[in-house]
Parts: sequence; structure tokens; C-alpha cells
Amino acid sequence: MGKHRARWIGITVLVVAAGLIAVLAGRPSASVAEVQSPLVGHPAPAIVGTTLDGAGFSVSRASGHFVVLNFFASWCAPCQQEGPDLVTFQFEHQQAGDASMVSVVFGDTLSAARTYQKTLGATWPTLTDGNGKLALAYGVSDRPTTFVIAPDGRVVAYIVGAVTAKGLDRVIAAAKATEA
Amino acid sequence: MNAAFGDTGVLLGFAAAVVGVLVLAIGLAKGRESTIRAGQLYAPLVLVGGLIAAVAMEHALVTHDFSVAFVADNNSRETPRLYSITGLWSALSGSILLWGLILGGYATAMVWRFRRRAAEPLVAWATLVVYGVAAFFFGLMLHVTNPFQHVVGKVPVDGAGPNSLLQDNPLQAIHPPLLYLGFVGFTLPFAFAIGSLVTGRLDSAWQRETRRWTLFAWTFLTVGIVLGALWSYQVLGWGGFWAWDPVENASFLPWLVGTAYLHSVMVQERRGLLRIWNLALVISTFSLTILGTFLTRSGVIQSVHAFSNSTIGPLLLGFFGLTLVTGLGLIAWRGDNLRSVGGIDSAISREGAFLANNLLFVAFAFVVLLGTVFPLLYEALNGGRQITVGAPYFNRLVIPIALGLLFLMAVAPALPWRKTSVEVMRGRLAVPAVLAVLVVVACVVGGIRGTEPLAAFGLGAFAAASAGRALALSVRLSWRGARLSGASPARSVLAGWRGFVGRANGGMVVHIGVVVIAIGLAAATSFGHRTEVALSPGQSASFAGHTIHFVGTRSVKTPSRSAFEAVLRVDGQGNYLPAITQFGAGSQDVGTPAIDAGWRDDVYLTIDATSTTGSRLTFGVVIQPLVMWLWVGGALLVFGSILSAVPGRRRRPTDPVSAVPESVASDHQSAPAPAHPPSVGMGAGIDRDGGAEPLADPEPVQVGN
Amino acid sequence: MSTGPRRFRFPLWIVLGGVLVVALVIGSGVLNSAPVTPAQRAVAIETRIKCPSCEDLSVANSSAQTAVIVRGTVGQLIGEGKSDQQIEAYLVSRYGSAIVLVPPASGWSLLVWVLPLGGGAVALAVLTVVLVRKRRNGVVDPTEAARLETELDAGASSDQLDTRRQFLEQSLADAFAEHRAGDLSDHDYQTLRRRDTARLAALDIRMVEADDLAAAGADGSVATAVAADVDEGDQGAGVRPVDTPGSTPTAVPVPAPRRSRRQRLLISGAVASFAAALVLVVALFAANRLPGQTPTGNPTLSQQAQVQQSLDQAATLENEGQPGAAAQLYQKVLGQDPQNEVAVAQLGWLEYQTGAQGNSPSLIADARAKLEQAVKLNPTDYAARLYLGTVFLDQDHDASGAVAQYQAFLAANPPASLLQQAASLLRQAYTQAGMPVPSSVPAA
Repeated sequence: MGKHRARWIGITVLVVAAGLIAVLAGRPSASVAEVQSPLVGHPAPAIVGTTLDGAGFSVSRASGHFVVLNFFASWCAPCQQEGPDLVTFQFEHQQAGDASMVSVVFGDTLSAARTYQKTLGATWPTLTDGNGKLALAYGVSDRPTTFVIAPDGRVVAYIVGAVTAKGLDRVIAAAKATEA
Repeated sequence: MNAAFGDTGVLLGFAAAVVGVLVLAIGLAKGRESTIRAGQLYAPLVLVGGLIAAVAMEHALVTHDFSVAFVADNNSRETPRLYSITGLWSALSGSILLWGLILGGYATAMVWRFRRRAAEPLVAWATLVVYGVAAFFFGLMLHVTNPFQHVVGKVPVDGAGPNSLLQDNPLQAIHPPLLYLGFVGFTLPFAFAIGSLVTGRLDSAWQRETRRWTLFAWTFLTVGIVLGALWSYQVLGWGGFWAWDPVENASFLPWLVGTAYLHSVMVQERRGLLRIWNLALVISTFSLTILGTFLTRSGVIQSVHAFSNSTIGPLLLGFFGLTLVTGLGLIAWRGDNLRSVGGIDSAISREGAFLANNLLFVAFAFVVLLGTVFPLLYEALNGGRQITVGAPYFNRLVIPIALGLLFLMAVAPALPWRKTSVEVMRGRLAVPAVLAVLVVVACVVGGIRGTEPLAAFGLGAFAAASAGRALALSVRLSWRGARLSGASPARSVLAGWRGFVGRANGGMVVHIGVVVIAIGLAAATSFGHRTEVALSPGQSASFAGHTIHFVGTRSVKTPSRSAFEAVLRVDGQGNYLPAITQFGAGSQDVGTPAIDAGWRDDVYLTIDATSTTGSRLTFGVVIQPLVMWLWVGGALLVFGSILSAVPGRRRRPTDPVSAVPESVASDHQSAPAPAHPPSVGMGAGIDRDGGAEPLADPEPVQVGN
Repeated sequence: MSTGPRRFRFPLWIVLGGVLVVALVIGSGVLNSAPVTPAQRAVAIETRIKCPSCEDLSVANSSAQTAVIVRGTVGQLIGEGKSDQQIEAYLVSRYGSAIVLVPPASGWSLLVWVLPLGGGAVALAVLTVVLVRKRRNGVVDPTEAARLETELDAGASSDQLDTRRQFLEQSLADAFAEHRAGDLSDHDYQTLRRRDTARLAALDIRMVEADDLAAAGADGSVATAVAADVDEGDQGAGVRPVDTPGSTPTAVPVPAPRRSRRQRLLISGAVASFAAALVLVVALFAANRLPGQTPTGNPTLSQQAQVQQSLDQAATLENEGQPGAAAQLYQKVLGQDPQNEVAVAQLGWLEYQTGAQGNSPSLIADARAKLEQAVKLNPTDYAARLYLGTVFLDQDHDASGAVAQYQAFLAANPPASLLQQAASLLRQAYTQAGMPVPSSVPAA
């Protein structure tokens, strides 16, 4: 202080600013940053609802196989992009019997969703989630959002944005590896 | 073709800026006046480069030249002409181009203004800094944000069209350019600050120029911010005008610090104090514009305004670091020699009030900055865990500061410089204080509850009355002056308008504008009501004193948009058309609100949900009082800023508070303010002309020989 | 402060304060503490919860589908009798901690609350510093103020002293204007004026001393003579300069700095043609090429150029009334080139002005020696001649000696502007010496 007050204040501010810059420089872009869900590693909320066909549906907590839960809307571009991959994934794993698909309509009219799923060739159950209970239980904020639930009922993955069949395979393989 | 011209322009701008830096550097290093003068010639070249590039881009947009990637991404054949033109600033690389163009314009204006003083080291250094900044922005356009990049692959038949939100409202045409005029305008004060630190000259010339350019940029920034709020109110559909969004904060930060500077510079003009502080404020203002650009343009923060991420982030961050290191480094190096030598005589004085004002403004800016970047800091500190810092946080910390500022706004205009006594202040503040208390009592009697809004209304009335008192005194002086100089009574009354003109009086009008905005904000945010009503055609609903009648629906289709509109009547009046609009096939639907604006309150209507069965619609209804005051206050701000730039005889803010303007003084007093001469001799003459205004100024006198 | 028992003064401020407090207490709603309704609770929670699919809106403000879902859930959970904390915790367990708009006051995020408070504390500290300084400024006793001033100025550079002086002069002028406008009471004005005048006197003493010392350090040849005179200078400086009208030096203009002329036009032309060529070339080849070669230069200055630059700067400083800074620059030049007659002459002149004002014979003697040295170094240096002549005229009242110098001045072809400014001096000298004024001296 005293004689060199300006100098010391200047240097102090500079050091603080350097810290800020270092932190900012180390931040990834928000669009590639990993979004987190507090559900990962925890028991998945129950999947109960009505399908587009009007039938009741529920998955038991420990289903014994992987469940891929996909929230979508017919008008959303990344949903349309991932659609064929989901069909591929379902086809491959239906045979192996180690995983099944469940879709949930998120922010769309039921008629549009029904037409979309039919055109896509999605044969798996699609839930209406009319009051948004499932979306809230899973903390869904954007579409498409995909959860992978392990055979023991724990959520093992949370993916926002389009997925690929290969990507889902990798997630399941990794989950199997840690289990084993 | 367009791209070729555009690239030429960018290249020219970049080359001119770089060569300008080099020529000036050589000239300064060798002390060669002719070289320094030659260095000034590059500013118009930068402008020409920016103009060529901008015109090329506008031509490409208007003619839908989809070979340019920027046009393909932000324009379509159906885009109306107006939104084709505004396409320039609807995405990242175009807005950097606009930045470069405006900077070129400022550089040219600066060089022109200082053409007679071009050889002074201060001016030369300032020009060099401006060139350096221009070189950075044109350099960005050369590579990372090249606006004229060719599309990858085949030229598409049609483009994607601008973001739906950006072709919904004509405000999009003026709000961003005005904001940029403000942002970029802070480059010049920064350049002068750096120049004066390098040359070690902190004389009145520095502060006069810096204050002037800051006021200019500040006015544009103010208009830009207010129009931005108006845009978000009219477009975004949630009924609010300020969400503490990072982009809003990014424009608000330089405004806060710039406002602090505009106040504290008066202490320097008048008393020669706070010199380093003022330099620091100017440097921070500019650095904050760069930081804000980084935060919102690099994609590190999600925001409604954020453009898609790009590689521009590290470069902007580096540039921010560079400005800080340069500015703060120079302050650390030179600061102690430039420190002012005196102190404040009494805390209860105009100087003391300005000091308190500055602390509050800086605290305000600190809170806003911290709140904006804290989620990033937290993630870094806490291994990726995320938090949100939102409106409740800002409101809790900022409202007390804002109330403190309102209080200062009430007291400071009545405070004399140097020292005062309780008796003097009692006399001056009695009427405003009575008014303030009356307003509070009236509000309480009228049923208004809540400490914060009541405090805002009371302090607002206090501040407005105090500003009104200052204006009334000044008008009376002008009028009396005219009468004493022999004008007829009618003419004398007319001459009273001069009481509104000039920096101090215009400043008071600005204060009143701020008060009007503060009252509007307090009322709208504290006493708003919102609800959702589901109505079938022909049904009505009553809410918060208004009746909303749903007449029916209709579909509107133009080449650029197709909309589903609901026809509503509010209190039996008018046709209000909230809509769901699709701009071009395949784009997402956006809601378009309809607003019944009034002096008392606004009724804000949106379509929140359509039902699959029947024609029943769910409407969002937001009713907020005094929203109109925000825009009126904004207009007053601009009006006051313009008044303070009008030339003529007037009171200067650095004059004694009760000073008689010279025009009056010379009529009935002896000599106009002879500076008390303590001694003659070697001490330099004191520049007492700090308050002269841009337009009234004689041409700067050439210093040196 | 009632002037008489019968006169009643309306206690305005007390009444105002009382009314305000009552109004605020009623207005704050403390008195009617109605229980919070579930709807109010819901709104309070909803304003704290971020709409999941929005960037920065609360669920209370948003009509997005996700916000509607959250609002419904909040209402339902309130109905189930959950507390606010439980509801918030439930939402955090689904959406993560970023769903709350208010950062928690715990862990690292405590910082976001503490830092502004810390900032406030720093601001208060700044205020305290100002107030402490105020105590120094608030000293009203002139003697004490002068003592503090001397303490303050000890060790300050001549530049700093100069700024300080400007500040004090401005303060005095300022108080005068304030007082005249009626904003400063008579008593306050007198106090401020007495204090600042005392400070200024103390400062002036210090400045003259500093100049003596600077002169002593500058030139080895006169160092001994000046060193012996420091005490003497001290005594001399005790007198306020303004009180010694006899020694007030005649204002003599400083001759223009001798700047070398360069080819201004040539460079401007080159720049213009370069720009034209650049546009042409780039337009022809319009591609993302890098810009053309930039002109390069050698930034190291020759010693001669450095000297010239310093002299130019010093002249500018002198013109701007910063003699201290100018003197430093001249001394720097002498360090590089002890024989530089311009620097010797200018320094001598500055010393003379200071010495005459401060009534310091030692400084004047030193100045005289410098000016004589300058004349010896370059007998045709018109500036040195003019200065020396003026010293003879003002100090020694030696008109004929002055005329001898002035004749040399005239013979050295001084610039017309300087001649014009010096004319009255010259006429005075010639008249006093009883000689005819030469025709080259411009008429009055």
C-alpha cells in the first residue's frame, strides 16, 4: 500500500482476472457439455402408462433385461434422425432377448405420434404420458431423451439428442462389463 | 461474386488496420511526426473495407445468393426483404462483420475529429489502439468467422431461413445495430485511456474526449438495451422484458460501469480526483464488452440469444485477456505516477455522493458479472456439478443496490461540492422529501403492500422531485437571465427552455427517465398477474379486472409465414390476435403474443395450448401494471441524452450547484467567475473548461509548435 | 435552536420520518399476518424452479409444456402435504441441482453469496480509507496543514509536486467559486482557504528545494556550488512567491523546439497508392489470400533521434506548464549529450524562473552559469542569448549587458514569432540602455 497502491491493486485484479480466464478457457462449449441426470446409478422410476393403442402398460422394476426408454416428438428433427437406428436396435435385440424399447410421446399430439411410429415401423410400445408424469419422473427437459435401464432396474445412461444403434450397443456392453 | 467482393473488403479492412498499427508504431518509436500523420489515413480504409464487405453481404442476402454459407443458413427465398437485410446481424459471423463496419466508422470519425492534433502522441497512441482492435475483428473475419465462406458441396436451391424468433418483429432491424453502436463505441474511450497511460498524460483533453465518446456510446447502448427489452416483451411470449439472461447481462455490464464512469469523471473534471479510478472504469467497460461477447458468442453459456458454438471462443477470451493485461498492466506500471494527490474534504458533498454512486454501480456490476459466470466457476470447482443462478438471486442482491442508487439520485443533485451543512440540505430536500412521503402514504392508503415496491415508489418520487427541482431552478435562471437582458416577458418565458439544455440539465431529464423506468419495473414485477384460461369461441373470462372475449380463430398464410390466429377482445375493445406462427415449412412453431398496452396496465395474450378435440384454446393471460412506463422512461433517457448534447449557454455539472450561468451572471454581476488566483508563476494554468460540450467546442488548439 | 419561546417551528423532518415509518410498517404487511394460502406457496416455489426446457425462465413465468408439468406436480405435492423443502428436493432428485434458480448457500456455491458481501466489505474499506484521508484533509489549522503537507511531499518527484500544486490551486479556485455561488458557507470557505493556502506555501518551499536538488544532481560542474546553497535556498523559499513582486520574472516566450522537417507528402502519397494497389490486387485475385507484406521498420532509435525526441517532448511539456517534467527530460538529454546547448539553455531558463519566483539566489546563480555555458557552447544560439539577456535585465538591472546579448540574439536570425513575443523586452532594454531600438525589432 502507500506509494504503490495503484500497482498492487492493478496486479491483484489482474491475478483474479487470470483465474477467471483460466476457468473460462477450460470450460467446454455448453452444447457439447455432458448433461447429467441425478437418476444415473439410481433405481429407475416406474414405467407405467397407457400405450397409443389404449392398452395399459407397465415394466416391472427388475425386468431382467435392458430397457431403452426414449422420449420423442414426431416434429423434432433429431428424433426423426434417430428413428431408423431405434428400429435397427429393437430388431437386433429382440432376437437376442437382452433389451427392449419403450417410447414416450413428449410434446406432441397423439395422432401425429401414432402416424409417425407407424411410418417408422416401430412395433414396440409407445406410451402417451398425457399428464407428463413420466417425463417429470425422469426429469426430461428436451427431446429426444433416452434412458438405458439395466436388468436390475438401475439407470445406467442418460442421453440427450439423437442416439445410434451402435451407441446404444456400446452403452449396454459397457454396463454388462461393469456388472460382470 | 458477392463472396469475392466481401473477401476483398475484409482483407482491405484487415490490411489497413495492421498497416495502420505498424505505421503508427514506427512513427511513435522514431518520433517522426510525418509518419504519425500518415498513420491516420488508414482509418477511412478500414471503414471502406468494412463497407465493401457489408454491402457485399447485404447484396448476397437480398439476392438470396446461397453459394455463401451464411446466406444459406440465415436466409430463404421466402424471407421478406426487411428480414433479409437484418439477416446480417442474425448470426455470429455477420454480426462480427457489423462490428467491424461500425468500428471502421468510429475510427474514421475519431481520426477526422483529431485531424489537427494527429501528431500528438496521445492521439497517435489512441488511434493505434483502435487499429489494433479493428485488426483483431477483421482478423476474425479472415478465418474463424469468415462470413463469406462458400457452402460445402452443391449450392442449395433454398436456404434455411433466419431463426423464427428473428423474423417476427421489426425491432430486430434496429435493436442489434444500436446495441453494437454502443458496444463498439466504448473502443474509443478505451483507446484514449490506453493512450494516456502510455504517454503519461492525464490532462483535461483526455477526460473531455473520453467522456464525450463514452456518452455517445452510452446513449446508443441505453437505447439498444431498452429496445432489446421491448423486443423480448413483444416476441418471446412470456410476458416479461428482462430475464437476467446472459446476453442481457452482457449488455448491461458495460452499461453499469460506463454509467459509473460518466458520473465519476465529473469529480475528475471538477476536483482533479479519482484519475486512476476513471481510467480503470473506462478500461473495464471495454473489457466487459469483449467478455460479454465471449460469454454469449462462444457457446460456453446456454442462452436464448447464444449463437451456435464456434471456434471464436478462445480467440475472444484471449483478446479479453489481452485488453485486461494491457489496461491493468499499464495502470500497475504508470498508475502510481498518475495518482491524484488530493482527497475529499467532506463525505457529505457532491464528491462524496459520486463516490458512493460509483461504489454502488461497481457493486451492481460485480453482482451481475458474478451471477453470470458463477455457474461456470461452480462447474469447474465442483467437478462438473451444475447449478443455475437465476432471477431470484439477482433480484435479492440487486434490488437493495438499486434502491440505494435511487436514494443517491434524490440527494446528490442538491448537494454542493466540497462541503455542506445539515441546514442547507434540509432546506433543499424538504419539498422532495414531503412529496416522497406523500407518495408512500398514498400508495399505502391505496392498498399497495410490499416493502420493496413501496420503497421504490417513495424513493422514485424523491429522486424525481429532486431532479425536477434542479430543472426548475435552471429554467427559472434562464428565464430570469433573458428578462434581465431586456427580452419581452413572452420571449423570456420561451427562453426558459434553455433550462432543459446542457449536460447537467439533460442529465436531470435522464434521471427522471431512470425513475420512470424504476417505477415501471417495480410495479410490473411486483403486481403482475398471470393465469391460463381455456375458452371456446364466443366465451369470455374475467381476470384481474379485465374481460377477455374469445371471438374465433382464423388462419393467415403468406409466402413467408403461416399463422393460426385467435381473435380476442379485451374489455369489449379491439381485435387482439395472439398466434402460433410457422416461418417457412419445416420450422418450429413459435407463439406470437398480442398486447393490449395501456397507461395503467398491459394485457398480454398468448395461445398456450390448442386442443385436439374441438376449437377450445388455452390462453395465457398476463396482466402487468405500468409496463408502458418502461418504454416512456427509455424515451426520456434518450431525450435527456440528446438535450445534454445540445449546444448553448447552460449550467455545467461541474459548476457550483447554485451557480448562476455566465449568461445571467454577466448581466447583473461583475465578472464571470474569476478563478481565485493563489499565485502566479510556474504552475500550469488550470484547465477549467472541462465542461464544454462537443458541439460548442472551438476547434481544439494545436499543442506543440 | 429555537430563537424564542413563542416561535413554533414545525418539526418537519421528525413528522416526515414518523409518517414514513408508520406507512411502511402498514405497507409491509407485517400487521395482517394472514396464513399463506397453498396458491401463494405454489407461486413462491414456482418462481424458484427453472423451467426445464427454457434457458432462464422460472416455471412460474413459462408456458412451456415442461413448465406446465412441473407446475402441476408442485400443486399436487402441496396437496399431499409436502413441505417446500421436500418438493424442491424431489424436483432436484429428478432434474438435477440446476433446476433450482437460486444457488444454495452451502458448499462452493456459498461463494456466490459471500463474494458480493465481501465486495461490499471492500467497498466499505475503500470508504474508510477515503474518510481517513478526509481526516487529513479535514485538518483546519493552517500550521498543522502545512506540516502535513511537508510530510506528504517528502520524497515526491517534481512531477508529483507539480500535480499536487495544480490540485491545490484548483481547490482554492473551486472553493472561491462555490462560496461565490452561495453553496459554501463563509466559515467553511475561510477554513478551506486558509488551510489550502498554507499547504500551497509549504508545497512551494518543497518545490524550490526539489528543483535545487535536481539541479545539483544534474550537472557535476555546478554541483558543489549548489550543494552549499541548499540551506540558503531553504531560507529564501520561506517567502511566498506571490509576495515578492520585485523578482517576478518577465514572461519570456520559450522558443519553438527545433524539429526537423520530413517528407510528409511523400508518405501520404505512398499510403494512398498502396491502398489503391491493395484494393486492385485483391479485387483481381479475390481469394482468401493473406494480406500483402507490411512495411517493416527498425524500431531502435539512434541516439541523436532519441535526444531530439526528448527535446521535443520537453518543449511540449514546458509549453503545457509542466516545468518539473520538462527539466527532468532536459537532464536526461544532458546525460546522453552533456554538450547539448539546447538542453543546457532550457534547463538554465527553467531554473532561473523557479529561482526568481522562489527568491533563491543559489538557483539564480546556477541558472546564470548554465546560460553562460550554453552561450559558450553555441554563440549563435538565439534562445540562450535571449534568456541570458533577460537575466541581466531583470536580475542585475544591467541594461547594457542585456543589450549585448539581445544584439547577438537578433544577429542569430530568431524566428519572427519569437521576435514578436520578445519585442517589448528588447525595447525595454534598449531604451534603458539609452540606445536606439534596432529596426528589426517589431513595433509595438
